[in-house]
Amino acid sequence: MEKREETYWDSKLKEIQSKKSAENKAYSEWKSRTLEPWNRKTGYSEKEYTNSSSIDLKEVYTVEDLPKDHSKQIGMPGEYPYTRGIYPNMYRGRQWTMRMFSGFGTPEDTNRRLKYLIEHGESGLSIAFDMPTLYGFDADNPRSDGEIGRCGVNVSSLQDMEEILEGIDLSKVSTSMTINAPAAVVTAMYIAVAKKKMIPLDRIAGTVQADILKEYIAQKEWIYPPEAHIRLIRDMMVYCTENVPKWNYISISGYHIREAGSSAVQELAFTLADGFYYVDMGIKSGLKVDDFAPRLSFFFNSSINFFEEVAKMRAARRIWATVLREKYGAKKERSLLLRFHTQTSGYTLTWQQPLNNIVRTTVEAMAAILGGTQSLHTNSYDEAWALPSEEAVKIALRTQQILADETGIPDVIDPLGGSYYVEWLTDRMEEEAYRYFDTIEKLGGILESVKKGFIQKEIAGTSYRRQMRLEQGKEIMVGVNRYEEKDEKPISTLKISHKAQVDQINKLKKLKETRNNLAVKKALQDLEKALRNPDENSMPYIIRAVEAYATLEEISNVGRNIFGEWKEPVIV
Amino acid sequence: MENGKNRLLFKDKPVKVLLAKPGIDGHDRGILVLAKAFRDAGMEVLYAGLLPTPESVVETAVNEDVDVVALSLLNGAHLTVFRKVADIMKSKGIDDIALVGGGTIPDEDKPELEAIGVTGNYGPGTPLSVIIDHVTTRAAEARKKKISR
Amino acid sequence: MSPLELKSILEGIERSDTRSVARAISIVETPSMHLERNLIIKGIYHKTGHAGIIGITGPPGIGKSTMIGNLCKMLSSENFKVSVLAVDASSPFSGGSLLGNRIRMQENLSRYGVFMRSLANRGLNGGLSRAVWDAVDILDAAGNDFIIVETVGAGQADLDIVNLADTVIVVLGPGLGDQIQAIKAGIMEIGHIFVVNKIDRDGSFIAIKDLEETLAFTTQGDWKIPVYGTNSLTTEGYGDLINGIKNHTTLAKSSPEFRRKRYREEMRIVMQDEVSRIINRKFNEMILNNGEIDSLLESKTDPYSAARKILKGNSVKL
Repeated sequence: MEKREETYWDSKLKEIQSKKSAENKAYSEWKSRTLEPWNRKTGYSEKEYTNSSSIDLKEVYTVEDLPKDHSKQIGMPGEYPYTRGIYPNMYRGRQWTMRMFSGFGTPEDTNRRLKYLIEHGESGLSIAFDMPTLYGFDADNPRSDGEIGRCGVNVSSLQDMEEILEGIDLSKVSTSMTINAPAAVVTAMYIAVAKKKMIPLDRIAGTVQADILKEYIAQKEWIYPPEAHIRLIRDMMVYCTENVPKWNYISISGYHIREAGSSAVQELAFTLADGFYYVDMGIKSGLKVDDFAPRLSFFFNSSINFFEEVAKMRAARRIWATVLREKYGAKKERSLLLRFHTQTSGYTLTWQQPLNNIVRTTVEAMAAILGGTQSLHTNSYDEAWALPSEEAVKIALRTQQILADETGIPDVIDPLGGSYYVEWLTDRMEEEAYRYFDTIEKLGGILESVKKGFIQKEIAGTSYRRQMRLEQGKEIMVGVNRYEEKDEKPISTLKISHKAQVDQINKLKKLKETRNNLAVKKALQDLEKALRNPDENSMPYIIRAVEAYATLEEISNVGRNIFGEWKEPVIV
Repeated sequence: MENGKNRLLFKDKPVKVLLAKPGIDGHDRGILVLAKAFRDAGMEVLYAGLLPTPESVVETAVNEDVDVVALSLLNGAHLTVFRKVADIMKSKGIDDIALVGGGTIPDEDKPELEAIGVTGNYGPGTPLSVIIDHVTTRAAEARKKKISR
Repeated sequence: MSPLELKSILEGIERSDTRSVARAISIVETPSMHLERNLIIKGIYHKTGHAGIIGITGPPGIGKSTMIGNLCKMLSSENFKVSVLAVDASSPFSGGSLLGNRIRMQENLSRYGVFMRSLANRGLNGGLSRAVWDAVDILDAAGNDFIIVETVGAGQADLDIVNLADTVIVVLGPGLGDQIQAIKAGIMEIGHIFVVNKIDRDGSFIAIKDLEETLAFTTQGDWKIPVYGTNSLTTEGYGDLINGIKNHTTLAKSSPEFRRKRYREEMRIVMQDEVSRIINRKFNEMILNNGEIDSLLESKTDPYSAARKILKGNSVKL
């Protein structure tokens, strides 16, 4: 057996072990003195209490569950390692952005919904695209039949993006776009719209999700093999660092990993592992970590197990700051701040008794606020049935507004800080995450782990176990396996009409007839040349193609011809 | 009683089911759980992977002579896409393979789906035993057609 | 099943009708339909013998699926008719199985009209079941030029394939030193062609050299076992591989010894299967009638003596 070199993760785990308190007398003495006699007297039978990460929970936590230097460990808001929050005055200085994920039907339908939400108080835009768009297919592709506008807005060309953003001042509002495989193309479209509206590129702000690693792990919206997509992310990173400084060209996501069935610890670990990969990528492409790390942003899930979620987010901040400083040598403070958007968990919504979902979303939103999120989307109660109706999305927005303005929750920073339970759980989750980082490194890194299917297997395993526990009644979903109702009353839901498909196809046909097809051809040829050269930055060429009104599929196909399409390993 | 008869029918050749998401939809958490659950229930399971075309789903179903094709979609396109699969099967004169559906399917779409032969149409959160029972029942109908020609 | 339906299936097989072939394979997979199975095989057997049967075996994850997809594409483009049989293991607990990871090959299969079928292997002792042999016969009679049989790479079935196939390809990967050690003992018996896949990875050169060394002093009659390096993503090495397949298949088909060995093995399996079937069917009756189990329980006898007594006392009619 060769002696392997100790990894950075090994040393962190040793450090964590050494800081733990040796004894836990308060708890064990209380247990024998008071708890056990009580249990015997009341005939209490032992039950298991755990959370999504399979961490067993004691009845109560005490100061002895915290490390010896716990006040240093916990720290203060706005100070390294930022466990309590990334800004010194958190929501007092800047409330989280209320950013409701929206999009359906035609660009005009979506434009109307965006304006409705702005009117009702949302503070940032978030656009959802339909399946064909997410996979780089145009509206007139036969495979798009039946899919157009159904789970997001359909975008086949710059014209569609112009219509979505019509009448919206891009210098005053930031826009998040949930798009991954064709993220570079959609970013190019947004840039092109800003240019047309005469807004200087250093004034536009927003995010594209673009995190391709988690696509292979969880959301499964890819086109090309991993290396090709990573090159495109690199191109965006370099281009935007120089030209669009307020653009978050990546939103490193855990939301989808969790929705695919992972535990909270897996969500934490795999997301941050992806993040470290992108840091490595940035450095490899010649940038200094402090040049680009400030622009890396994150996206987490907020699920129903309340305290676990808060602990997860606090652990995430501490891990990111620590690793960026210690392992990557980042010097600028902004490089250490883990900024994140949160969405309440879709998986926890039930189609049975849908109004119950309002309660679930509220609890999950509270966890995100107590976890210190910078931006929040709350789900609508009807989303287990369809895309949100106007009424439902308004309630979801009001949920945030009530939490912000009535409850007093945001008035004090990190109010759960110092809770023995929450601090202990934060530390535990941090420790489990470091274990995962170590395993992943020993497997050859996150990309290798993904290609080998290790990550997907972990998630599928957790997902299956959870389903089994539900089937056995060990976990409860109200209305599903407890308190079920025989006759559910149907609710009215948003309908996407087939007209959206007809309109989009006709529009596209007209576009292809009226645009300068020679310019399109040339732009695509230039793009192909650029893509074939791994050292060339493809962004300027994508922008030019987009401005010539080349379609999303035409541009994506240039990549398909060069890189091919990726087929996943089947992990069950 | 029905269960007993079915058990006999599938004693030496288990239910064979093809799981497919024939549209543009990467949400595979549910179908992966189903694949395992069906296998653990003793079925022979084929999973068509992501983004197969409706044509290739039917081709696989025929070549593998499955009893049931279980279609899942969570992207809202079920009416169009499930119909495509049903139409292709009809045009090939296939009447001994059953179609079962699942996903984000509003109640008001279910009658239309059943009219084209896609039954079940279970949403997320449906107990696995309910789905397994239904698939077995439909499989029994299909198998009886196959062997009693 | 009606005689009309049976006739229709037989005619369908001759016409290479996909549905008939698929239905026929289902029938031979169903033990309780053994009478129909016998009639089908009887009806088509005279049309078998043309197809080159290629076995592909090797550990999971080594790239067999991608390789099969490539072989289908390349052979189809030479106008050969190709079919694929994927033999999978069933769960010993539930009896269920997750069949044939066809995703990596699907595109190539559809594009070139290749028929693929998964079979859950319910063989005796984990070896290749009777159904696999029958399915190969059906595909042979349906006019295929090549039938690729993929085994799951985890046991006896991988060894048995050498009796069924004309050419067996053993696929290994770089850095599989331990695997090679483990099979070195009987390596000349498990395959006719060895392939080291993923040659873009470290360790592949050494793996090829290691194999060549091991095989250097083994011969299979006139055949010298080749070792090829392939990259299934770029199809590097496939030209040589396909030539090797064609060469060995021709050799096998033209060698009377080889063919006789094959038919003898098929006979042995059929007879074993028939006898097993009868014993299984009669087992309950025989034991119950004889009260031998009771004797065993009271330790008046042992399983071997008891079995001899039972078999002697029930001359089994085929």
